[in-house]
Parts: sequence; structure tokens; C-alpha cells
Amino acid sequence: MTALARLSRVLPSTVLIVLLALVIFGPLTNLLIWSVTERWYFPHKLPLEWGFSFWERVFRPRGNAMESLITSIWIAVFTVFACLALSVPAGYALARLKLPARALIMLAFLMPQAFPSVPIYINVARIFYTLQLNGTIAGVVLVHTLHGLVYSVWIATAAFAAVDRSLEEAARNMGAGPLRTFATITLPLATPGIMASAIFVFLESLDEFTGTYFVGTPDVTTLPLLMFRASMEGNYQIASITALILLIPSIAFMLVVERFLRADVLAKVGT
Amino acid sequence: MRSPSLIGLLLVTPALLLLAALFVYPLGFSLVSAFTVEGAGDGGDRFGLFNFVNAYELYATDIAFTVLIVGLSTALIGIFAVAIGGYLTLGEVGFAVALLRWLYRWPLFIPFIVAAQCMRTFLAKNGLMNNALSAAGLLEPLSAQSFLDWRGIVITFVWKQTPFVALLVAGAMASIDRSTIEAARNLGASRLRALIEIVVPQVHAILVVGLVLSFVTMMSVLSVPMMISGNTPTMMTVDMAFRINAYGDYGTANALGFISYLLTGAVAWIYLRRGVREGPP
Amino acid sequence: MKKLFLAGAALVAGAAMAPAMAQDVVLNVATAGSENMVDYVIDYLGPMFEETHPGVRVNVVGTGPGDAGSQAIFEKLSAQSAAGAAAWDIDVAVVHQKMGGNLVREGLLASYRDQVETGALVTSAAADNALGTDVSGYVIPMFHSQTAIAYNPLLVADAPATYADLVEWTTAHPRQFGYNGIKGGMSGVSFYMGWLYAMTDDAGQMMAGPYDASVAEGWSDALDGLKAFNENVTFTPGNAGTLDMLNRGEIAMGPVWVDMFYTWQADGRLSPDLKLKLIGPGMPGQPMYYVTPAKATNPDLAREFIELATSPQVQAEGIVQRFNWYPGIDASHIEDFMSPDAWAKLFADVTPEDLAANGKTFPIAEFFDLALENYERHVAQ
Repeated sequence: MTALARLSRVLPSTVLIVLLALVIFGPLTNLLIWSVTERWYFPHKLPLEWGFSFWERVFRPRGNAMESLITSIWIAVFTVFACLALSVPAGYALARLKLPARALIMLAFLMPQAFPSVPIYINVARIFYTLQLNGTIAGVVLVHTLHGLVYSVWIATAAFAAVDRSLEEAARNMGAGPLRTFATITLPLATPGIMASAIFVFLESLDEFTGTYFVGTPDVTTLPLLMFRASMEGNYQIASITALILLIPSIAFMLVVERFLRADVLAKVGT
Repeated sequence: MRSPSLIGLLLVTPALLLLAALFVYPLGFSLVSAFTVEGAGDGGDRFGLFNFVNAYELYATDIAFTVLIVGLSTALIGIFAVAIGGYLTLGEVGFAVALLRWLYRWPLFIPFIVAAQCMRTFLAKNGLMNNALSAAGLLEPLSAQSFLDWRGIVITFVWKQTPFVALLVAGAMASIDRSTIEAARNLGASRLRALIEIVVPQVHAILVVGLVLSFVTMMSVLSVPMMISGNTPTMMTVDMAFRINAYGDYGTANALGFISYLLTGAVAWIYLRRGVREGPP
Repeated sequence: MKKLFLAGAALVAGAAMAPAMAQDVVLNVATAGSENMVDYVIDYLGPMFEETHPGVRVNVVGTGPGDAGSQAIFEKLSAQSAAGAAAWDIDVAVVHQKMGGNLVREGLLASYRDQVETGALVTSAAADNALGTDVSGYVIPMFHSQTAIAYNPLLVADAPATYADLVEWTTAHPRQFGYNGIKGGMSGVSFYMGWLYAMTDDAGQMMAGPYDASVAEGWSDALDGLKAFNENVTFTPGNAGTLDMLNRGEIAMGPVWVDMFYTWQADGRLSPDLKLKLIGPGMPGQPMYYVTPAKATNPDLAREFIELATSPQVQAEGIVQRFNWYPGIDASHIEDFMSPDAWAKLFADVTPEDLAANGKTFPIAEFFDLALENYERHVAQ
């Protein structure tokens, strides 16, 4: 292959990738710039003064940013486990077993996203106050789990539905019981989809603030509450910094899940 | 077909119980308020559709606007997600595929409220995008225009939500049988044709699930329309927040929520009808 | 992995128990408003209070800016009231004026002003009346917030002095004035109320009552005028949206909360050259109130906290010198505690005479809602 032919093969892809990179990182550039901006206003097209004073403000000891970040992460981890525990069986049943009003059940799980959440949370808070659940991690996890279910049930159902039935039947014909078939064939094949839903649940929980406010505060404080306040009032520096901090656990979780996935797939190949 | 599976019911029950306790039961109070006229007549409440009439009279344009915005965004998200997934599956330039895999997910990690903030400072008339374009000589500063209207909302939604669907679709595409694709390619089908005729039909179900979930999510986001566009018409979530914060009027807010759920339900139904037709065993 | 998870779970369980086990008494302060207000309590009032009250920890919850932030406090208290809880988890709250009235009407607040020494230092009307609701005894203002027109002297040579001037100016400079309508926050609402005050003869009745829905029948010219005016303005996304567009020079002028304006300047998001003008015949302002809920867990500490926060020294040093905000208690009590410079800076753009002449209150609650409904039905459609 001549150099020219090679270039013409690679060029369109390169151009597309560069364009996409601009589209994706363009808006994020603003986030990065604001996080280290001290002064930036019209008519200046770039900050007049750069610095880390807002980072100092976020991380000052009385601000409790680290403590809220750790609380946020654990709440998200617990929420993922709770969602998976509920949605794996539910998704399997919805995809594979005969259920009355299956479509209605699926529709029901979409509801928590559609209605304005504030009136719901007021009532949930009222119930939780009677049960002494307000101001506890468990209470916040429950509320986040409800919202996570929207994603995890729908995605788990789709993942189970996509598993090739003939593989399950082959296992059954070879004498495997239903539980064994599920554990060795169905679940592993549906795992990539289920893990994708785990990532979404984690992100959803890590970025949530309305439910946390009603059910968690003043005893449980998470970092998104600070991010929400700062964003709403246009405090770009603080909002950008908190968003950047929240990126770390999000990406770490994604990497952990992917690593775990790959190991799992490899293990299967080995046996 | 067997009779309804008892095990099946047992398996969905825990999830349904949580939904019932933390959502349906609290929603009950809310829905009652949507159908209630407070303090009507002799001081008591009575049932009626007043809140729905109010919602329709004041916000009919906003409801239509919301459906158009979210519908258009969903369509664009579908196209871009398939394109990304397709390139990851069928792409032949190794480094480009690897770069794309690394690139496309970033917006997934940015919460909506921060995405809205980024876009507001990026797409504005004197925002970073126009400033960069004019510095590069690609744009006359005087002809710069702001995208902070319906276009800004759509751009933000598509930017934020495409990776979500693309991640699902790319996962499904990676696990399909490659022999059919290769057979088609050997017969001379272009990559685009292989994508549309061979790959997409096999991941159709998960694509639609991703789009339905995106649709619901976008219907419920307040921060994006609130922070991007100050113009009327606006989206229903802004109206709901306004009814609550300005008047303490949960009735009309819930009536709007009910309408929003019906719209979402209609879209989800399209997917579910197909599922019912194919049917579980 | 599993081990790590269990360790973490134990840690979190421990952390969740910690408040119950520790000897510290926690005083929960919920505050609506900007991050600066939250930081003010965290970094300034909190440590000062903890110093004189060993064993007490001040825990601050920010509920978000604007009336949505106050609404959130209201909702949290009403949930606890409906649940029949014996002790509520908020001890002190900072809320907007309109919400102060709602809270009193719903019976969610404790009357405390007679029991704190600083109660006698407040004589302003806003301390007794919140948009038509009698709140005397239940509130002490933290600071007084005012809306005014912010403008960029680089782009505006001669700033309008009245609403009528402004209409003329926007006709000559289309889209250079921006505001956030009524759905994006209170600075736009305030601009609209000022418009009604200027363009109708009902300002007095709207602010003082009595309420009469038929008053709105005379508003059609004012509303039509606003609709025409809106053709020449830029709509901004929210209170912060107006400041945001001023930040990039996309608009030259717009209504803002004075305290937010100073925050943006202090945080380097607005040029120090921008100026404020309180245009005639006047724009509304409102106080933020310190309140304590009817069933606060620590009512005595709550009162002591408010007493500290409304003392002349703290008002002078914390509110005026630190933030350039108008004090909540009567200005005459704090002048002694301040340098003449800080005093002059407070009134640099908006003079005390301007404030006296053009600083209005919002309409009483019923007129407030009536005005908003009329905007929605006649101007926004």
C-alpha cells in the first residue's frame, strides 16, 4: 500500500474523531477553565487571573467536602447493590416467565422519573419521619434505589431477553436444573447488560440531590447538594470543582466494573 | 403457554413492593391533589378537573414544545448512538476505534445540571465556542449568534444522553454473531448497509429501551431548560417548579406531571406492544 | 474487594451512629440563599457560636438559592409536622420574606423575638409584616436585600433613572436589556412588580392592601405595555442567568439582587466597573428572616444563636463589612461598629435617599399571586 492510499484510508476517520473530540471536550473545557479561574468577565475572552483559591474554599476543613464525598460514594455503592438485588430477579421474571400484566409492570417502573419528584419526596419524608428513617444512610439509599430501578429493571429485562434461548435449552437437555442453568448460562450472558445498568445506577445516585435533601439532611450530607446550590446560583468555580471531584469516583467505578467484566469473561474461556 | 408463573410473581414482588411503598403510596396523595379543587364551595375540597383545565389553558404550548424538544432529541440520540456503536463494531481503522471508545463516554459522567452550566457558557453569543471560532478566523464576531434557546436544550440533551444509549447499543453490538456481518461484507455490502440491515435489527430491542429511558429522563430534567433558555415557550418541568415555588400549587404541578407520565407511557407502549406480541414463553 | 466493602460498610454505619454517640449537641441551621450565605454561617457565625458554647457543633444545610430554597425549608418542616414528630431536625432557618409569612400562617414557627435581647433593635415594618401576614415576634431580619438595575458603564453612557426612561432606552437599544421573566427567579418577578407599580395607580394598595381582585381589571394597559416592551428585551435564564449574560457582555443592563451582584463581583465573575441603579418610582426588596421552628430540638440554643447573629457587632462586621449587604437590624445601632469607609461603600451606588424613595416592598401575598397569574395569562401567552 502506498503512503497516499493509506492516508486516504485513514483521513476521514481522523477528521471525524477530531470533530467528535471537539464536540465532547469543547463544553468540558469551560468546566476546566472555570475551576481554576479567579477573575473572568467581559470584555476578556479568557480569565484575567488564574488560581486555586476556590479549591481551597471547597476543601477547607469546615466545609466537610471530603466527608460528604465519602458519604456520597458509599450511598451510591449501597444503592447499586440494592438495585441489582431487586432488578436481577425482576428482570429475569419479566423477560422469561409468564406474568400477568407484564406491560403494566414495566410501565410502572417508569413512573418515578415522570412525575415531579418534590411532592413525592415530601410524602416520603413524612413517612420516613414516622419510621425514624429520616437522616439515615438507609433512608437515602432507599430513595436512590427507587430511582435506580427505572434503569436497572428495564435494562436487566432487555439483557435477559437478549440471551439466546437455545443455549439455555441445550443446558437443560444435558440435565442441568433451572437454577444451575440460570447461574451458568443465563446470568453470565446477561452480565454485560446488567453491569451497564449498574454504572447508570451508580451515576444516578452519585449525582442526586433532591431526594437526599428531603430524606438525608441535616444529618446526612452529600457532595451533590453543594454542587446543586453552586450551579443554581451560577457559582461556576465551585460548581465546576465539585463536578470534577465527582468525576473521580464515577470513572473509577466504571473502570472497576469493566475490569471485573473482563476477568469474568476470561475465566469462562478458561474453564 | 403455561399459566401465570408463581415463581415469576415472587421474583418481581420485592421490586414492586419498594415501588409501591416509596412511590405509589406517596403519589396517591399527590394524584388526589391533581384532581382536587382546594377549598371549593363551602370550604371543603371537591374533586374535579380544574387543575387539568388550568394546566391546559396556561401551558398547552409548553406541553407541545416539550414533546417536540424531547422527541427531536430522542431521534438524534438514536442516530448518533447507532453511528457510534456501528463504528466501534465495524470500524476498520484501529486507532480511530480505540480513540472513539475512549472518547464517547465522557458526557455520561457529567450531571445534567453541570452539563447545562457548561453549555450555557459554551454556546452563548460571547461564549467559548464563538470566541474560539472567531479567534480561529472562522467566524465574523458580528455575525455570532447565541444558541441558548430550543437549540441549546436539544444540543445539551443529545450531548449528555447519547453516550448512555451508545454504551448500551455498543455492548449489544459487540455480542452479536460476527459471521453474518462478514458474510454480508464479503457479498459486497457497504459498511453502512451492513449496519442498517444486519446489525441494527439485532440490537433493536436494547436500542429502543435506551431511547425510552432517555425520553423519560429528558422529560424529567429541570436544570437544562431552566439554565439554558429563558424564552417562552419553555418545558413542562419549569412550569411544575414554578407552580410549586411561586404559588405552592401542587395541584396543577401534579396535573402536569400526570400529563407528562401519559406522554412517557405512550412512548413506552410502543416498545412494550412489540414485546407483548413476541411474548415470553 | 468484599473485605474492603465490609470495612466501608462498618465505617459508614459508624459514621451514621456517630452523632448519637458523641457528646456534642448539634445545632442544625438551614439556610436558603446563595453559597455565600451558607459559608457565612459555616465559617463565621458557626465558629463564633461554638467558641462561646463548648460542646455544641453548628451543622449547616444550604437549601439552594431563590424562593425554591425557602420552599424547600417549608416542605421539610411541614413533612415533620404532618408526621407528628415531637422534635424537628431544624433549629434555626433563614428564609425569604414571603415564605416567612407562609410559615407563620401554617403554625410552623415559634415566637421568640421578645425572648432575645436584640429583638428590640429592629423597628422596620418588614419585621412585623411579611406581605400581608403579621409576623411580629416570629422573625428578625438577617439582612435586607434589594433589587436594582445593574449596568455596564462601558456600554451604557447614561443609565435610565425611571421605568419610563428604560422603555425609551430599550427602544433605542433593542435586546441590550435583559431580564428573566417570572419563572426564572425573583429578580425578574421584582422587575415585573416594579413595572406594575410604575404603570398603574395601584402600587399603594398592592403593598398595603386591602385585597381586591377587581383591581387587576385596570392593568390591561400596563400588561400590553410590558408585552410590547418584552419584544425589545433579551430573556435570561434565571436570576443567575442575568448576571451570567452581564458577565459575558451579552446584555448591557438587567435587574439583579444587590447582594448577588456583590457576590459575583467578589468572586471575580463581574467586572468591578459595573454599577447599580435603583430606578424610580421604585423596585421591590425583601429581608431574609431568622426564624426558629415551633418544635426545634434545641430551642434555647436556637435563640442564643439568633441573638448572636443579630447583635450590632456581628451585623456590622459580618453583614455589612464582609458582604456589603444592608443590615437586618436598624442601621442606627450598627454605625458605631463600622469604619466610615465601609459605610460609604455600602451606599456607593444606591444612596440612602434612593433607598428611602425607591426601595419598595413586594405586594401582599394575594396581589402577588394575582400579578403573577396576570403575567402568565396576558404577557407570556
